[in-house]
Amino acid sequence: MTLDLSGKQYAGVDYDEKERLFEEVKKDFRFEQYLYGCYECGICVAACPSARFYDFSPRKIAQSVAREDVDLFYVFLNDSVWDCSQCFSCDVCPRKNSPGGLITLMREVAVNNGLASAQEALEGYGRVVYKIMATGTQVAPDMLQANAFPDWGPHVKDIAENLEAWRRALPPETMHTTEASWQVDEKTITELYLIWHMTGVMDMIKEVDEGLFMILQDVMEEKLEDAGYDVSFD
Amino acid sequence: MVELPVLVIGGGPAGMEAARGIADIGYRCVLVEKRMVLGGTPELANYAALTPDFRDAGEAMAEMAKAVQDDEQVDVRIGTTVRDVSGAAGGFEVSLKSGTGNETVKAGAVVIATGFQHFDPGRETQQYGYYEYDDVLTLVDLEKMLREKKVVRPSNGEPPKRMCFIQCVGSRDRQIGNEYCSKVCCGVAAKESIEVRQLLPDCKVFIFYIDMRMYGYWENEIYWPSQEKYKVNYIKGIATDIRKKGDKLIVRGEDTTMGRPMEVPMDLVVLSVGMEASSGTKEMAEIFGVELNKYKFIETTGGALNTVATSVEGVFACGAATGPADIEDSISSASAAAMKAVSIVRKKALAG
Repeated sequence: MTLDLSGKQYAGVDYDEKERLFEEVKKDFRFEQYLYGCYECGICVAACPSARFYDFSPRKIAQSVAREDVDLFYVFLNDSVWDCSQCFSCDVCPRKNSPGGLITLMREVAVNNGLASAQEALEGYGRVVYKIMATGTQVAPDMLQANAFPDWGPHVKDIAENLEAWRRALPPETMHTTEASWQVDEKTITELYLIWHMTGVMDMIKEVDEGLFMILQDVMEEKLEDAGYDVSFD
Repeated sequence: MVELPVLVIGGGPAGMEAARGIADIGYRCVLVEKRMVLGGTPELANYAALTPDFRDAGEAMAEMAKAVQDDEQVDVRIGTTVRDVSGAAGGFEVSLKSGTGNETVKAGAVVIATGFQHFDPGRETQQYGYYEYDDVLTLVDLEKMLREKKVVRPSNGEPPKRMCFIQCVGSRDRQIGNEYCSKVCCGVAAKESIEVRQLLPDCKVFIFYIDMRMYGYWENEIYWPSQEKYKVNYIKGIATDIRKKGDKLIVRGEDTTMGRPMEVPMDLVVLSVGMEASSGTKEMAEIFGVELNKYKFIETTGGALNTVATSVEGVFACGAATGPADIEDSISSASAAAMKAVSIVRKKALAG
Protein backbone atom coordinates (compact mmCIF):
# COMPACT_ATOMS: atom_id res chain seq x y z
CA MET A 1 0.00 0.00 0.00
CA THR A 2 1.26 3.46 -0.82
CA LEU A 3 2.05 5.60 2.16
CA ASP A 4 0.22 8.92 2.08
CA LEU A 5 2.77 11.56 3.10
CA SER A 6 0.44 14.49 2.58
CA GLY A 7 -0.67 14.34 6.21
CA LYS A 8 -4.26 15.01 5.16
CA GLN A 9 -5.43 11.87 6.95
CA TYR A 10 -4.34 13.42 10.25
CA ALA A 11 -5.41 16.98 9.57
CA GLY A 12 -7.98 16.57 12.37
CA VAL A 13 -5.32 15.84 15.00
CA ASP A 14 -4.17 18.92 16.90
CA TYR A 15 -0.69 20.10 16.01
CA ASP A 16 0.03 20.45 19.74
CA GLU A 17 -0.72 16.77 20.25
CA LYS A 18 1.58 15.77 17.39
CA GLU A 19 4.27 18.02 18.81
CA ARG A 20 3.85 16.56 22.29
CA LEU A 21 4.52 13.05 20.92
CA PHE A 22 7.44 14.35 18.86
CA GLU A 23 8.98 15.95 21.94
CA GLU A 24 8.50 12.70 23.85
CA VAL A 25 10.63 10.90 21.25
CA LYS A 26 13.24 13.66 21.33
CA LYS A 27 13.60 13.74 25.07
CA ASP A 28 14.44 10.03 25.29
CA PHE A 29 18.00 9.65 26.51
CA ARG A 30 18.88 7.42 23.53
CA PHE A 31 17.72 9.98 20.97
CA GLU A 32 20.96 11.87 20.55
CA GLN A 33 22.87 8.69 19.77
CA TYR A 34 20.29 7.58 17.23
CA LEU A 35 19.97 10.66 15.07
CA TYR A 36 22.56 13.17 13.91
CA GLY A 37 22.11 14.57 10.39
CA CYS A 38 21.36 12.95 7.06
CA TYR A 39 23.31 12.78 3.80
CA GLU A 40 20.21 11.52 1.98
CA CYS A 41 22.45 8.80 0.62
CA GLY A 42 19.85 6.03 0.91
CA ILE A 43 22.21 3.39 2.30
CA CYS A 44 19.70 2.61 5.07
CA VAL A 45 16.95 1.97 2.54
CA ALA A 46 19.29 -0.16 0.43
CA ALA A 47 20.07 -2.29 3.48
CA CYS A 48 16.46 -2.52 4.69
CA PRO A 49 14.55 -5.79 4.08
CA SER A 50 11.17 -4.17 4.79
CA ALA A 51 11.79 -1.54 2.13
CA ARG A 52 11.74 -4.32 -0.46
CA PHE A 53 8.21 -5.30 0.44
CA TYR A 54 6.51 -2.20 1.73
CA ASP A 55 6.36 1.48 0.90
CA PHE A 56 8.76 1.92 3.79
CA SER A 57 11.83 4.13 4.08
CA PRO A 58 14.02 4.42 7.17
CA ARG A 59 15.61 7.42 5.42
CA LYS A 60 12.34 9.32 5.23
CA ILE A 61 11.53 8.53 8.85
CA ALA A 62 14.94 9.74 10.02
CA GLN A 63 14.71 12.83 7.84
CA SER A 64 11.23 13.77 9.00
CA VAL A 65 12.55 13.78 12.57
CA ALA A 66 15.81 15.54 11.67
CA ARG A 67 13.80 18.23 9.90
CA GLU A 68 11.51 18.50 12.91
CA ASP A 69 8.60 18.12 10.50
CA VAL A 70 6.00 17.33 13.13
CA ASP A 71 3.15 16.61 10.72
CA LEU A 72 5.23 14.19 8.70
CA PHE A 73 6.58 12.58 11.87
CA TYR A 74 3.00 11.89 12.92
CA VAL A 75 2.26 10.15 9.61
CA PHE A 76 5.27 7.87 10.07
CA LEU A 77 4.47 7.32 13.76
CA ASN A 78 1.09 5.91 12.79
CA ASP A 79 1.47 4.44 9.36
CA SER A 80 5.07 3.35 8.97
CA VAL A 81 6.98 2.39 12.10
CA TRP A 82 5.26 -1.00 12.37
CA ASP A 83 6.57 -2.03 8.95
CA CYS A 84 10.09 -2.16 10.43
CA SER A 85 11.41 -5.58 11.42
CA GLN A 86 13.87 -4.03 13.89
CA CYS A 87 16.80 -5.89 12.33
CA PHE A 88 19.04 -2.78 12.48
CA SER A 89 20.57 -3.38 9.06
CA CYS A 90 20.15 0.38 8.69
CA ASP A 91 22.90 0.91 11.27
CA VAL A 92 25.34 1.00 8.32
CA CYS A 93 24.66 4.77 8.17
CA PRO A 94 27.87 6.76 7.41
CA ARG A 95 26.58 9.55 9.65
CA LYS A 96 26.16 6.94 12.42
CA ASN A 97 22.42 7.37 12.66
CA SER A 98 20.29 4.46 13.75
CA PRO A 99 16.95 4.77 11.96
CA GLY A 100 15.96 1.43 13.54
CA GLY A 101 16.75 2.80 16.99
CA LEU A 102 14.75 5.91 16.24
CA ILE A 103 11.85 3.65 15.22
CA THR A 104 12.19 1.81 18.55
CA LEU A 105 11.69 5.13 20.33
CA MET A 106 8.76 6.04 18.11
CA ARG A 107 7.10 2.67 18.73
CA GLU A 108 7.52 3.06 22.46
CA VAL A 109 5.91 6.48 22.32
CA ALA A 110 3.09 5.12 20.14
CA VAL A 111 2.43 2.30 22.59
CA ASN A 112 2.81 4.35 25.76
CA ASN A 113 0.29 6.81 24.41
CA GLY A 114 -2.13 4.10 23.31
CA LEU A 115 -2.33 5.26 19.69
CA ALA A 116 -5.07 3.40 17.82
CA SER A 117 -2.59 2.56 15.07
CA ALA A 118 -0.28 0.90 17.62
CA GLN A 119 -3.15 -1.09 19.10
CA GLU A 120 -4.14 -2.25 15.66
CA ALA A 121 -0.59 -3.15 14.68
CA LEU A 122 -0.09 -5.19 17.84
CA GLU A 123 -3.51 -6.87 17.86
CA GLY A 124 -2.21 -10.07 16.28
CA TYR A 125 0.56 -10.37 18.83
CA GLY A 126 -1.66 -10.72 21.92
CA ARG A 127 -1.19 -14.47 22.09
CA VAL A 128 2.59 -14.24 21.70
CA VAL A 129 2.81 -11.48 24.30
CA TYR A 130 0.66 -13.51 26.65
CA LYS A 131 2.93 -16.53 26.25
CA ILE A 132 6.12 -14.60 26.85
CA MET A 133 4.84 -12.66 29.78
CA ALA A 134 2.92 -15.45 31.48
CA THR A 135 5.28 -18.36 30.90
CA GLY A 136 8.63 -16.71 30.23
CA THR A 137 8.99 -18.55 26.91
CA GLN A 138 7.93 -17.28 23.54
CA VAL A 139 6.73 -20.05 21.24
CA ALA A 140 4.82 -22.78 23.06
CA PRO A 141 4.12 -26.19 21.50
CA ASP A 142 0.36 -25.78 21.91
CA MET A 143 0.48 -22.86 19.49
CA LEU A 144 1.15 -25.44 16.78
CA GLN A 145 -2.32 -26.06 15.46
CA ALA A 146 -3.20 -27.33 12.02
CA ASN A 147 -5.58 -24.47 11.22
CA ALA A 148 -2.98 -21.87 12.22
CA PHE A 149 -0.26 -23.37 10.02
CA PRO A 150 -1.92 -24.92 6.95
CA ASP A 151 1.22 -24.37 4.90
CA TRP A 152 3.26 -26.61 7.18
CA GLY A 153 1.64 -29.74 5.75
CA PRO A 154 -0.70 -32.51 6.91
CA HIS A 155 1.59 -33.88 9.63
CA VAL A 156 0.93 -30.78 11.75
CA LYS A 157 -2.52 -32.12 12.51
CA ASP A 158 -1.08 -35.39 13.80
CA ILE A 159 1.50 -33.63 15.95
CA ALA A 160 -1.07 -31.24 17.39
CA GLU A 161 -3.41 -34.08 18.35
CA ASN A 162 -0.71 -36.09 20.05
CA LEU A 163 1.31 -33.20 21.38
CA GLU A 164 1.89 -34.59 24.86
CA ALA A 165 3.27 -37.85 23.52
CA TRP A 166 5.58 -36.07 21.09
CA ARG A 167 6.87 -33.82 23.83
CA ARG A 168 7.49 -36.71 26.22
CA ALA A 169 9.62 -38.31 23.54
CA LEU A 170 12.17 -35.50 23.97
CA PRO A 171 15.03 -36.52 26.29
CA PRO A 172 15.22 -33.42 28.59
CA GLU A 173 12.49 -33.60 31.20
CA THR A 174 12.17 -29.82 31.29
CA MET A 175 10.76 -30.02 27.76
CA HIS A 176 7.88 -32.30 28.66
CA THR A 177 5.63 -29.30 28.43
CA THR A 178 2.90 -28.16 26.03
CA GLU A 179 1.94 -24.73 27.33
CA ALA A 180 5.50 -23.40 27.39
CA SER A 181 8.60 -24.16 25.38
CA TRP A 182 10.23 -25.54 28.47
CA GLN A 183 9.64 -25.62 32.18
CA VAL A 184 10.65 -22.32 33.62
CA ASP A 185 11.87 -22.19 37.19
CA GLU A 186 9.41 -20.63 39.66
CA LYS A 187 12.00 -18.19 40.91
CA THR A 188 12.71 -17.06 37.33
CA ILE A 189 9.01 -16.50 36.69
CA THR A 190 8.69 -14.44 39.86
CA GLU A 191 11.64 -12.31 38.86
CA LEU A 192 10.27 -11.81 35.34
CA TYR A 193 6.91 -10.66 36.69
CA LEU A 194 8.63 -8.21 39.02
CA ILE A 195 10.79 -6.87 36.20
CA TRP A 196 7.76 -6.35 33.96
CA HIS A 197 6.00 -4.60 36.77
CA MET A 198 8.86 -2.37 37.83
CA THR A 199 10.04 -1.34 34.35
CA GLY A 200 6.62 -0.22 33.21
CA VAL A 201 5.98 -3.02 30.72
CA MET A 202 2.63 -3.72 32.38
CA ASP A 203 1.65 -0.05 32.01
CA MET A 204 2.52 -0.29 28.34
CA ILE A 205 0.37 -3.42 27.89
CA LYS A 206 -2.47 -1.68 29.66
CA GLU A 207 -2.37 1.16 27.13
CA VAL A 208 -2.30 -1.05 24.11
CA ASP A 209 -4.48 -4.07 25.09
CA GLU A 210 -6.66 -3.75 28.18
CA GLY A 211 -8.06 -7.30 27.87
CA LEU A 212 -4.63 -8.86 27.76
CA PHE A 213 -3.59 -6.70 30.68
CA MET A 214 -6.43 -8.02 32.84
CA ILE A 215 -5.65 -11.65 32.06
CA LEU A 216 -1.96 -11.15 32.83
CA GLN A 217 -2.82 -9.19 35.96
CA ASP A 218 -4.78 -12.15 37.37
CA VAL A 219 -2.02 -14.63 36.63
CA MET A 220 0.81 -12.47 37.88
CA GLU A 221 -0.70 -10.99 41.00
CA GLU A 222 -1.67 -14.44 42.25
CA LYS A 223 1.75 -15.95 41.62
CA LEU A 224 3.54 -13.00 43.19
CA GLU A 225 1.30 -13.18 46.23
CA ASP A 226 2.15 -16.90 46.60
CA ALA A 227 5.82 -15.92 46.43
CA GLY A 228 5.30 -13.41 49.23
CA TYR A 229 5.13 -10.15 47.24
CA ASP A 230 2.29 -7.73 47.81
CA VAL A 231 2.07 -6.16 44.35
CA SER A 232 -0.83 -4.44 42.65
CA PHE A 233 -0.63 -3.68 38.94
CA ASP A 234 -3.38 -1.04 38.85
CA MET B 1 66.47 46.28 -18.67
CA VAL B 2 65.56 47.77 -15.32
CA GLU B 3 63.22 45.87 -13.04
CA LEU B 4 59.85 47.60 -13.32
CA PRO B 5 57.08 47.37 -10.73
CA VAL B 6 54.12 45.01 -11.08
CA LEU B 7 50.77 46.60 -11.79
CA VAL B 8 47.96 44.99 -9.77
CA ILE B 9 44.45 45.89 -10.88
CA GLY B 10 41.69 45.56 -8.29
CA GLY B 11 41.73 46.34 -4.57
CA GLY B 12 39.72 43.38 -3.33
CA PRO B 13 41.07 40.42 -1.35
CA ALA B 14 42.95 38.98 -4.35
CA GLY B 15 44.49 42.27 -5.47
CA MET B 16 45.50 43.28 -1.95
CA GLU B 17 47.05 39.86 -1.32
CA ALA B 18 48.94 39.95 -4.65
CA ALA B 19 50.28 43.43 -3.86
CA ARG B 20 51.28 42.44 -0.35
CA GLY B 21 53.02 39.33 -1.69
CA ILE B 22 54.98 41.27 -4.30
CA ALA B 23 56.09 43.80 -1.68
CA ASP B 24 56.94 41.05 0.83
CA ILE B 25 59.47 39.53 -1.53
CA GLY B 26 61.05 42.92 -2.06
CA TYR B 27 59.53 44.16 -5.30
CA ARG B 28 57.58 47.26 -6.11
CA CYS B 29 53.94 47.29 -6.97
CA VAL B 30 51.29 49.74 -8.14
CA LEU B 31 47.85 48.79 -6.84
CA VAL B 32 44.99 50.37 -8.78
CA GLU B 33 41.43 50.45 -7.46
CA LYS B 34 38.59 52.27 -9.20
CA ARG B 35 36.54 52.84 -6.03
CA MET B 36 37.68 55.22 -3.31
CA VAL B 37 38.22 52.39 -0.80
CA LEU B 38 40.07 49.11 -0.70
CA GLY B 39 38.26 45.92 0.30
CA GLY B 40 36.55 44.87 -2.91
CA THR B 41 33.19 43.12 -2.94
CA PRO B 42 33.33 42.06 0.74
CA GLU B 43 33.53 45.76 1.59
CA LEU B 44 31.13 46.98 -1.11
CA ALA B 45 28.45 44.41 -0.31
CA ASN B 46 28.73 44.74 3.48
CA TYR B 47 29.74 41.15 4.17
CA ALA B 48 29.27 40.34 7.84
CA ALA B 49 31.42 37.26 8.33
CA LEU B 50 33.76 35.35 6.10
CA THR B 51 32.99 31.81 4.99
CA PRO B 52 33.88 29.36 6.42
CA ASP B 53 35.59 30.73 9.53
CA PHE B 54 33.02 33.40 10.53
CA ARG B 55 35.77 35.97 10.87
CA ASP B 56 34.46 39.54 10.88
CA ALA B 57 34.69 40.56 7.21
CA GLY B 58 35.14 44.29 7.84
CA GLU B 59 37.98 43.65 10.23
CA ALA B 60 39.66 41.18 7.85
CA MET B 61 39.46 43.57 4.88
CA ALA B 62 40.73 46.48 6.99
CA GLU B 63 43.69 44.35 8.03
CA MET B 64 44.50 43.53 4.40
CA ALA B 65 44.12 47.16 3.34
CA LYS B 66 46.39 48.36 6.13
CA ALA B 67 49.10 45.89 5.10
CA VAL B 68 49.34 47.39 1.60
CA GLN B 69 48.82 51.00 2.67
CA ASP B 70 51.59 50.76 5.25
CA ASP B 71 54.06 49.20 2.84
CA GLU B 72 56.35 51.66 1.04
CA GLN B 73 56.83 49.18 -1.77
CA VAL B 74 53.15 49.44 -2.67
CA ASP B 75 51.91 52.52 -4.48
CA VAL B 76 48.17 52.45 -3.78
CA ARG B 77 46.04 54.39 -6.29
CA ILE B 78 42.37 54.57 -5.34
CA GLY B 79 39.78 56.22 -7.56
CA THR B 80 41.88 55.17 -10.51
CA THR B 81 41.05 53.19 -13.64
CA VAL B 82 43.11 51.58 -16.37
CA ARG B 83 42.50 53.13 -19.79
CA ASP B 84 44.97 51.60 -22.19
CA VAL B 85 48.12 49.53 -22.51
CA SER B 86 51.05 49.19 -24.86
CA GLY B 87 54.32 47.32 -24.73
CA ALA B 88 54.97 43.73 -23.73
CA ALA B 89 56.06 41.54 -20.80
CA GLY B 90 58.93 43.23 -18.97
CA GLY B 91 57.94 46.64 -20.29
CA PHE B 92 54.26 47.50 -20.34
CA GLU B 93 53.16 51.12 -20.47
CA VAL B 94 49.76 51.50 -18.90
CA SER B 95 47.74 54.69 -18.96
CA LEU B 96 45.74 55.38 -15.83
CA LYS B 97 42.95 57.83 -15.22
CA SER B 98 42.08 59.35 -11.88
CA GLY B 99 40.40 62.43 -10.48
CA THR B 100 43.66 64.29 -10.85
CA GLY B 101 44.12 63.46 -14.52
CA ASN B 102 45.79 60.92 -16.76
CA GLU B 103 49.15 59.30 -16.17
CA THR B 104 51.21 56.56 -17.76
CA VAL B 105 53.00 54.06 -15.56
CA LYS B 106 55.57 51.50 -16.56
CA ALA B 107 55.10 47.95 -15.36
CA GLY B 108 57.04 44.74 -15.90
CA ALA B 109 54.00 42.53 -15.38
CA VAL B 110 50.30 42.90 -14.71
CA VAL B 111 48.01 41.06 -12.29
CA ILE B 112 44.31 41.36 -13.05
CA ALA B 113 42.27 40.90 -9.86
CA THR B 114 39.03 42.55 -10.85
CA GLY B 115 36.76 39.91 -9.40
CA PHE B 116 33.12 39.14 -9.87
CA GLN B 117 29.71 40.65 -9.44
CA HIS B 118 26.67 39.03 -7.88
CA PHE B 119 24.05 37.70 -10.26
CA ASP B 120 21.06 40.02 -10.54
CA PRO B 121 18.06 37.74 -9.89
CA GLY B 122 15.67 40.04 -11.65
CA ARG B 123 17.66 40.23 -14.82
CA GLU B 124 16.70 37.13 -16.79
CA THR B 125 13.56 35.67 -15.31
CA GLN B 126 11.17 37.09 -12.80
CA GLN B 127 10.16 33.72 -11.39
CA TYR B 128 11.27 34.56 -7.86
CA GLY B 129 9.88 38.09 -7.88
CA TYR B 130 13.00 39.77 -6.53
CA TYR B 131 11.90 43.20 -7.69
CA GLU B 132 8.24 42.44 -7.07
CA TYR B 133 8.15 41.29 -3.44
CA ASP B 134 9.77 43.15 -0.55
CA ASP B 135 10.46 39.96 1.35
CA VAL B 136 12.49 38.31 -1.40
CA LEU B 137 16.18 39.05 -0.77
CA THR B 138 19.56 37.87 -1.99
CA LEU B 139 22.43 36.44 0.04
CA VAL B 140 23.99 39.88 -0.27
CA ASP B 141 20.95 41.67 1.20
CA LEU B 142 20.86 39.23 4.09
CA GLU B 143 24.58 39.66 4.65
CA LYS B 144 23.95 43.34 5.24
CA MET B 145 21.17 42.58 7.73
CA LEU B 146 23.46 40.14 9.53
CA ARG B 147 26.12 42.80 9.74
CA GLU B 148 23.59 45.04 11.46
CA LYS B 149 22.46 42.08 13.59
CA LYS B 150 18.88 42.75 12.61
CA VAL B 151 17.11 40.24 10.38
CA VAL B 152 13.58 41.40 9.60
CA ARG B 153 10.98 41.24 6.85
CA PRO B 154 11.37 44.46 4.84
CA SER B 155 7.58 44.50 4.30
CA ASN B 156 6.71 45.01 7.96
CA GLY B 157 9.91 45.19 9.98
CA GLU B 158 9.03 42.01 11.92
CA PRO B 159 11.50 39.16 12.45
CA PRO B 160 10.62 36.20 10.20
CA LYS B 161 9.18 33.01 11.72
CA ARG B 162 9.88 30.89 8.65
CA MET B 163 12.44 31.65 6.01
CA CYS B 164 14.19 29.81 3.23
CA PHE B 165 17.16 29.99 0.96
CA ILE B 166 16.85 29.01 -2.69
CA GLN B 167 20.16 27.77 -4.08
CA CYS B 168 21.70 28.05 -7.54
CA VAL B 169 19.96 31.30 -8.52
CA GLY B 170 21.79 32.42 -11.64
CA SER B 171 24.10 29.41 -11.59
CA ARG B 172 23.94 26.00 -13.27
CA ASP B 173 21.16 27.22 -15.47
CA ARG B 174 21.13 26.71 -19.21
CA GLN B 175 18.05 28.94 -19.49
CA ILE B 176 19.98 31.86 -18.05
CA GLY B 177 23.23 31.00 -19.79
CA ASN B 178 25.32 30.48 -16.67
CA GLU B 179 25.97 26.77 -16.75
CA TYR B 180 28.74 26.83 -14.16
CA CYS B 181 28.51 26.31 -10.40
CA SER B 182 29.33 29.48 -8.47
CA LYS B 183 31.04 27.37 -5.85
CA VAL B 184 30.59 29.58 -2.80
CA CYS B 185 26.81 30.05 -2.49
CA CYS B 186 26.21 26.69 -0.74
CA GLY B 187 28.75 27.55 1.91
CA VAL B 188 27.57 31.12 2.24
CA ALA B 189 23.91 30.05 2.59
CA ALA B 190 24.84 27.46 5.22
CA LYS B 191 26.90 30.08 7.06
CA GLU B 192 24.10 32.65 6.91
CA SER B 193 21.56 30.05 8.03
CA ILE B 194 23.63 29.47 11.17
CA GLU B 195 23.87 33.21 11.79
CA VAL B 196 20.09 33.58 11.38
CA ARG B 197 19.41 30.73 13.80
CA GLN B 198 21.80 32.30 16.30
CA LEU B 199 20.02 35.65 16.03
CA LEU B 200 16.47 34.23 15.78
CA PRO B 201 16.28 30.86 17.56
CA ASP B 202 12.52 30.64 16.94
CA CYS B 203 12.79 31.11 13.19
CA LYS B 204 12.54 27.94 11.10
CA VAL B 205 15.10 27.97 8.32
CA PHE B 206 14.91 25.89 5.15
CA ILE B 207 17.44 25.51 2.32
CA PHE B 208 16.12 24.32 -1.02
CA TYR B 209 18.94 22.94 -3.11
CA ILE B 210 19.94 20.86 -6.13
CA ASP B 211 22.96 19.43 -4.35
CA MET B 212 25.00 20.99 -1.62
CA ARG B 213 28.55 21.55 -2.83
CA MET B 214 30.43 21.78 0.40
CA TYR B 215 33.78 20.42 -0.59
CA GLY B 216 36.64 19.78 1.79
CA TYR B 217 36.31 20.89 5.37
CA TRP B 218 33.49 23.30 4.60
CA GLU B 219 31.20 20.33 5.00
CA ASN B 220 32.38 19.82 8.56
CA GLU B 221 32.78 23.48 9.44
CA ILE B 222 29.48 24.85 8.20
CA TYR B 223 27.22 22.26 6.60
CA TRP B 224 26.94 19.76 9.44
CA PRO B 225 26.74 22.35 12.22
CA SER B 226 23.90 24.03 10.34
CA GLN B 227 22.00 20.77 10.00
CA GLU B 228 22.88 18.97 13.23
CA LYS B 229 23.37 21.79 15.70
CA TYR B 230 21.24 24.58 14.30
CA LYS B 231 18.50 22.35 12.84
CA VAL B 232 18.41 24.01 9.45
CA ASN B 233 16.11 22.02 7.16
CA TYR B 234 17.79 20.95 3.93
CA ILE B 235 15.27 20.05 1.26
CA LYS B 236 16.45 18.68 -2.04
CA GLY B 237 14.39 20.38 -4.68
CA ILE B 238 14.48 23.79 -6.28
CA ALA B 239 11.55 26.15 -5.98
CA THR B 240 9.61 26.63 -9.18
CA ASP B 241 8.16 29.97 -8.28
CA ILE B 242 7.14 32.30 -5.50
CA ARG B 243 3.70 33.79 -5.13
CA LYS B 244 2.25 36.16 -2.64
CA LYS B 245 -0.71 35.10 -0.53
CA GLY B 246 -1.88 37.54 2.10
CA ASP B 247 1.27 38.70 3.83
CA LYS B 248 3.08 35.41 3.17
CA LEU B 249 5.16 34.22 0.27
CA ILE B 250 4.19 30.81 -1.06
CA VAL B 251 7.15 28.81 -2.33
CA ARG B 252 6.26 26.00 -4.69
CA GLY B 253 8.53 23.15 -5.66
CA GLU B 254 9.16 19.47 -5.26
CA ASP B 255 10.37 17.89 -2.07
CA THR B 256 12.30 15.22 -3.93
CA THR B 257 13.55 13.68 -0.70
CA MET B 258 10.04 12.79 0.37
CA GLY B 259 8.81 12.39 -3.20
CA ARG B 260 5.98 14.88 -3.02
CA PRO B 261 5.08 18.30 -4.33
CA MET B 262 5.29 21.10 -1.81
CA GLU B 263 3.74 24.47 -1.36
CA VAL B 264 5.02 26.15 1.76
CA PRO B 265 4.42 29.56 3.30
CA MET B 266 7.46 31.70 4.08
CA ASP B 267 7.99 35.08 5.69
CA LEU B 268 11.31 35.68 3.98
CA VAL B 269 12.99 34.14 0.94
CA VAL B 270 16.71 34.50 0.27
CA LEU B 271 17.99 33.89 -3.24
CA SER B 272 21.45 32.36 -3.25
CA VAL B 273 22.76 34.36 -6.16
CA GLY B 274 25.89 33.20 -7.91
CA MET B 275 28.87 34.95 -9.40
CA GLU B 276 29.40 36.49 -12.79
CA ALA B 277 32.49 38.17 -14.17
CA SER B 278 32.46 41.79 -13.07
CA SER B 279 32.25 44.60 -15.60
CA GLY B 280 35.81 45.49 -14.56
CA THR B 281 37.01 41.99 -15.40
CA LYS B 282 35.46 42.18 -18.86
CA GLU B 283 36.92 45.65 -19.47
CA MET B 284 40.42 44.60 -18.42
CA ALA B 285 40.20 41.51 -20.63
CA GLU B 286 39.39 43.78 -23.53
CA ILE B 287 42.14 46.29 -22.79
CA PHE B 288 44.86 43.69 -22.24
CA GLY B 289 43.59 41.40 -24.98
CA VAL B 290 43.37 38.36 -22.73
CA GLU B 291 40.96 35.65 -23.77
CA LEU B 292 37.80 34.91 -21.87
CA ASN B 293 36.53 31.39 -21.31
CA LYS B 294 33.06 30.30 -22.36
CA TYR B 295 31.70 31.42 -18.98
CA LYS B 296 32.96 34.95 -19.68
CA PHE B 297 35.60 34.91 -16.95
CA ILE B 298 39.29 35.33 -17.82
CA GLU B 299 40.68 32.13 -19.28
CA THR B 300 43.68 30.70 -17.48
CA THR B 301 45.88 28.97 -20.01
CA GLY B 302 48.26 26.94 -17.86
CA GLY B 303 45.94 24.06 -17.10
CA ALA B 304 46.15 22.42 -13.71
CA LEU B 305 49.80 23.36 -13.20
CA ASN B 306 49.53 27.10 -13.63
CA THR B 307 46.30 28.63 -12.41
CA VAL B 308 47.16 32.29 -13.04
CA ALA B 309 48.65 32.53 -16.56
CA THR B 310 46.54 34.15 -19.27
CA SER B 311 46.77 34.16 -23.06
CA VAL B 312 49.08 37.23 -22.89
CA GLU B 313 52.62 36.81 -21.61
CA GLY B 314 53.27 38.87 -18.51
CA VAL B 315 49.59 39.34 -17.73
CA PHE B 316 48.27 37.18 -14.90
CA ALA B 317 44.83 36.86 -13.40
CA CYS B 318 43.76 35.70 -9.97
CA GLY B 319 40.80 35.53 -7.62
CA ALA B 320 37.26 35.60 -8.97
CA ALA B 321 38.36 37.26 -12.22
CA THR B 322 39.15 33.76 -13.49
CA GLY B 323 35.96 32.11 -12.24
CA PRO B 324 33.86 31.69 -9.11
CA ALA B 325 36.16 31.64 -6.11
CA ASP B 326 35.91 31.82 -2.36
CA ILE B 327 38.25 33.96 -0.28
CA GLU B 328 40.56 31.01 0.40
CA ASP B 329 40.92 30.36 -3.35
CA SER B 330 41.39 34.05 -4.09
CA ILE B 331 44.14 34.49 -1.55
CA SER B 332 45.96 31.37 -2.78
CA SER B 333 45.78 32.30 -6.45
CA ALA B 334 46.81 35.88 -5.61
CA SER B 335 50.01 34.61 -4.00
CA ALA B 336 50.69 32.44 -7.04
CA ALA B 337 50.12 35.42 -9.36
CA ALA B 338 52.44 37.61 -7.26
CA MET B 339 55.20 35.04 -7.46
CA LYS B 340 54.83 34.51 -11.21
CA ALA B 341 54.62 38.25 -11.91
CA VAL B 342 57.83 38.93 -9.98
CA SER B 343 59.46 36.01 -11.68
CA ILE B 344 58.80 37.40 -15.16
CA VAL B 345 59.88 40.90 -14.13
CA ARG B 346 63.24 39.46 -13.00
CA LYS B 347 63.70 37.23 -16.02
CA LYS B 348 62.97 40.02 -18.50
CA ALA B 349 65.29 42.42 -16.65
CA LEU B 350 68.12 39.86 -16.60
CA ALA B 351 67.63 39.05 -20.28
CA GLY B 352 67.26 42.67 -21.21
